[in-house]
Amino acid sequence: MSQILSASSRLKPVNLHGADSETCTMVFKNHWNQVQRILESHDPFKNTQAKYRSISADEVSAVQNYVEHMLMLLIEEEVTDAAMGPILEYVVSENIMEKLFLWSLRREFTDETKYEQLKMYELLVTQSHQPLLHHKPILKPLMMLLSACSGTSTAVVETKLAVLLNQLCSILAKDPSILELFFHTSEDQGAANFLIFSLLIPFIHREGTVGQQARDALLFIMSLSAENNVVAKHIVEGTFFCPVLATGLSGLYSSLPTKLDDKGEDWHCLLKEDCLQIPELIQFQNSLEFCNAVIQVAHPLIRAQLVDYIFNGFLLPVVAPALHKVTVEEVMTTTAYLDLFLRSVSEPTLLKIFLRFILIHQHEKVHILDTLVSRINTPFRLCVVSLALFRTLIGLHCEDVMLQLILRYLIPCNHVMVTQRSAVREQDCYSACAEKFLSLTPECCALTVSSTGYLERRQTMYSKFRQRTDSDDSKHLYEKDTLMDGDCAEPVDDNYLEYLWEAHENILNCLEDCKVWSAPYDGQNPDPEISLKALMEDNCRRGEFPTFRRATRHYMDSFSSETPSLGGKTLLDLEWDDSYDTGMSPDSGSCSPQPSIDAVLPPEPPHHIQEMKRNAIMFIKGSYIEESDFQDDVMVYRLCAVKDAKDADMQNITDKNDIETNDQFTKPQEGNQTQANYNKNANLNEDTVKTQVKQTLPKVKIQLSPAADDISNMNTLSPDSEEFIARYDDMLNGLKTSTLEDVISPIHSLASPMEEDEDEFDKYSLDLPQAESIPSPFGPRDATIFSNFLPRPQTAPFTGPFISVVLSKLENMLENSLHVNLLLIGIITQLATYPQPLIRSFLLNTNIVFQPSVRSLYQVLASVKQKIEQLAATQQNFPVLLVEAQRYLLCRMDMPNQSADTFTKDNIAANTERKPAAAAAEAPRGVVQKAKEHRANPLLPLSGESKHIQNAMLAAALFPEFLKELAALAQEHSVLHSFHH
Amino acid sequence: MNPFWNMSSAAVRKRSDNDEKIATGDQKISPPRSSSAKKQLPSIPKNAVPITKPISPSPSVQPTNGTHASYGPFYLEYSLLAEFTLVVKQKLPGVYVQPSYRSALMWFGVIFIRHGLYQDGVFKFTVYIPDNYPDGECPRLVFDVPVFHPLVDPVSGELDVKRAFTKWRRNHNHIWQVLMYARRIFYKIDTTSPLNPEAAVLYEKDVQLFKSKVVDSVKLCNSHLFDQPKIEDPYAIIFSPWNPVLHDDARERMLAQKKSEEQSKGLHVSGLSWVKPGSVLPFSKEENSLQT
Repeated sequence: MSQILSASSRLKPVNLHGADSETCTMVFKNHWNQVQRILESHDPFKNTQAKYRSISADEVSAVQNYVEHMLMLLIEEEVTDAAMGPILEYVVSENIMEKLFLWSLRREFTDETKYEQLKMYELLVTQSHQPLLHHKPILKPLMMLLSACSGTSTAVVETKLAVLLNQLCSILAKDPSILELFFHTSEDQGAANFLIFSLLIPFIHREGTVGQQARDALLFIMSLSAENNVVAKHIVEGTFFCPVLATGLSGLYSSLPTKLDDKGEDWHCLLKEDCLQIPELIQFQNSLEFCNAVIQVAHPLIRAQLVDYIFNGFLLPVVAPALHKVTVEEVMTTTAYLDLFLRSVSEPTLLKIFLRFILIHQHEKVHILDTLVSRINTPFRLCVVSLALFRTLIGLHCEDVMLQLILRYLIPCNHVMVTQRSAVREQDCYSACAEKFLSLTPECCALTVSSTGYLERRQTMYSKFRQRTDSDDSKHLYEKDTLMDGDCAEPVDDNYLEYLWEAHENILNCLEDCKVWSAPYDGQNPDPEISLKALMEDNCRRGEFPTFRRATRHYMDSFSSETPSLGGKTLLDLEWDDSYDTGMSPDSGSCSPQPSIDAVLPPEPPHHIQEMKRNAIMFIKGSYIEESDFQDDVMVYRLCAVKDAKDADMQNITDKNDIETNDQFTKPQEGNQTQANYNKNANLNEDTVKTQVKQTLPKVKIQLSPAADDISNMNTLSPDSEEFIARYDDMLNGLKTSTLEDVISPIHSLASPMEEDEDEFDKYSLDLPQAESIPSPFGPRDATIFSNFLPRPQTAPFTGPFISVVLSKLENMLENSLHVNLLLIGIITQLATYPQPLIRSFLLNTNIVFQPSVRSLYQVLASVKQKIEQLAATQQNFPVLLVEAQRYLLCRMDMPNQSADTFTKDNIAANTERKPAAAAAEAPRGVVQKAKEHRANPLLPLSGESKHIQNAMLAAALFPEFLKELAALAQEHSVLHSFHH
Repeated sequence: MNPFWNMSSAAVRKRSDNDEKIATGDQKISPPRSSSAKKQLPSIPKNAVPITKPISPSPSVQPTNGTHASYGPFYLEYSLLAEFTLVVKQKLPGVYVQPSYRSALMWFGVIFIRHGLYQDGVFKFTVYIPDNYPDGECPRLVFDVPVFHPLVDPVSGELDVKRAFTKWRRNHNHIWQVLMYARRIFYKIDTTSPLNPEAAVLYEKDVQLFKSKVVDSVKLCNSHLFDQPKIEDPYAIIFSPWNPVLHDDARERMLAQKKSEEQSKGLHVSGLSWVKPGSVLPFSKEENSLQT
């Protein structure tokens, strides 16, 4: 080692500028002669004694000294024209470098020797005044050295190797003409291979500077490959670059912690500072970012291969199972990781496979998207983490995301009254919708706190507007200026201008991003009729009916919200995975005119879902509950049978169905086990039973043959069969209320023994209002009346699981914790920013008339308003508590925005400067953490008796702000629409 | 008080006579659709409608609380902004408007007449919008120089807008229609119940004399083109003679901007979409970049 150190210290450039070229060459040749003498004395070909003589230390150091000096001379040699300098020419013609390499091989080829040699080449390559790598006598020994180093394991050598490789690659990047040489020097040893590249691959996932150097070096080559088909082809066909990169991700992922430390109550996504605390995560992120960078610069062939490997080698085998782990905790962690990855990836090609994975991949026959949506409805932290993931997804402004999440349910326009179709495109010329949103402000919330920062903020807003006016030609902006000159803003308007400003910016951003979308989504394009067909075919292929789910779910949603729930009851909303049990699983497609085998025999809910449910229940109750506690499902089957029998009578379909129902009654196994499975955990109430009843409905129609569970049956009834639809409608119409009551009333009597049966689970479910709220399980009958206007199959209008779960969650605003509400508000305002008339009209047009079974945002907000007013009427010192809550929120707002780095992408990061509702939605994190740190801070603590009241008060304080945001968005849409084409 | 509100009332001169007797061309401009379309919907079954949602929105919702009322200026402002965007969208040939700096209720405009009797006429005008828009009367349009025309008041220069919009109906009538009407009177001359009887009579009886009077009027208007604007306002429309130093450059920039916009189209891709046009399925777009 001392040798190495001395070597590097002595190799300081000597000032040779004084010496003339001729002298230098003389000195060089002289030195070489000295060296050569020593070399030859040990060369077995030239000296027969050589093999018996050992190399003395003196000889070694003599050679070393000469060589060092020679290298200095070579490095310092300068030439004016393109020709080689005399020293270089001598080096090349005498093949000096190769001879030196062989000499070092002849000695013991230790790590120290390797280090020396690597160092020597590094100096040559980086310091030399003339290009050296073009010359094979220099390149070849270098290659030999590199390949000799490939198996090495010493950290010192590895570091040096990485540095040299990095240097070589950067030279390559600057001078691609050398590439050819690099490629073919090794041809002598066999197949063409790209040695520097292969040597770099093992370092890809290395941590620390070595890994960084190697990755940088690889990026040089990647950008080279973009221009060079040969290199690209070689990398794709001749190296394991892509597989190593992708499977490396899997390896690194598996070392990530499966559970995260408790990060505080309102933690919902991984921020930069979270990542920094987990070294494994840093390493993973490095590799992911490297993949991103490779995809950014590499040749399309490499890009395609890498993306393919990441999909098939990382997402499918690793992330998918991780998303379906057994414990809520693990699933939550995976969701948070996935969210982080989505935010870290910026290359569209890479993002695309992540989105493809989330949007259309199925795990155990269930779409990952559906699973993720259903998790919003859990009472755990998993809910907020899932919401955060969706916030990220929606913030991408990606057409495919919006299509799967929302638009596919809106395109058929089933959600609007037929006469209102054209209203989808209508603009709200006179701010009528904004007015309606604002009119939902509960009177009890009208008073506002004046905060100290308020005046300043207003000032900055004003100046911002003014600046904008000067610089921007958009015609209308100065009018805002006018408005402000008027100083007409009363206290209540204080931040409304900010909301308008932000809405303006956000809509413009979104408009810009949506320019690449394939269609305007205005209710005409894509054509509702044609698209409906395409979507139905797709659904068929997917084996489910997401477009036409039952309306019942909406009623369930409204039930839970209509529950007067502020009476201090336990409010554990254990609506676990409703969507799985009712709305989302394929068997719920019973409203669909498309019969399928799935409608007959619901598939087993995926194993992990059942597992999770069980876990969830344990979690909630803090103790394990025997599964058998939920096994009493015979009753349900009896009900199904009764119902089936009734239906059978109605339809005059006799024997076969009897057999079928008997079958079902007596042999509740296999497929029926599923029903058992979801009933055992579901709240056993009318809804569930209705679900059952409803699910049995299609059987009457479909099970024309006992072999109904035969797949082939699927084809016997065409989805578009007019006759089938007609009969289906008839049947629906035939089921008047009386029939329903007949069906439902026995449920009560049957259900009562169940309640006595120590079904503890019931205690955790919500008390549902009994008589008044029993809706027709088939959706309002009138829907079928309207259906007569439709030239196509009428289906229960359904705006999709996502909308429905988000709105139902929103309706429970007063029971939600602050961060759930902030996320919900964030998501809804993000959605309301989209300029597509279908989305805009659904969320913001308060005048449009929807189908009765469709619940609109306005209706949900109206219900929240009502609840707030109820609260105000019953809650003592409501005004005091409200002011406190407002102060609390203002405090959060004034805190420095710690999570500006939450979003790594520009389009989202642009929105960091925000105000009350939105600001908190983005940056809820730091605030409560700070609140914990400074418990003494007199402003922060809320004095509500319970967490429950505190949440309600915070929601009440947020609500008016949310309304302002929506109103502002509605107003800006009316002005900005013309920019959208 | 807010000048936003005062401005218009100060600027608008009251007109005493309303020509309500005149039948209008209203119908052609905006075919009367039933304004109560929403009410004619099939009645929604009671059990399906949440209590909170009003079944039919009443046209003039009275603000129920104080909070609500203070947003009035915003609603008016945005209504006018929306109107303005509609005007921009219409791209009426030869018609240009610009809201004033001081009030969104006052718009400056100019009409270029490119053929017909009034060919080469450049008529500046001002539009005054009532402050209870859109529930008030129709906007007024006053030419800076009274044009010789049967429907233009020879003294005040005001155009008879009312005959086209007997009653201003929100959602059906828009300001761009007023502007379109103002343009049309120069191409299709109507002489019934004129504000300028002389012009009307001449047009009926002696077209030649009418024509020459029109030519004089156009000349007069054009001679006042470079006058200072009648109403002093930073956004008033001002004409000045062509100044190569100033205008050549500006003109070039305007043309260049248009070109560069066209060029940059398609190059700048910031959004995300893998949906094939015409498809409603995600990731339906073929990846053609791979086959390079």
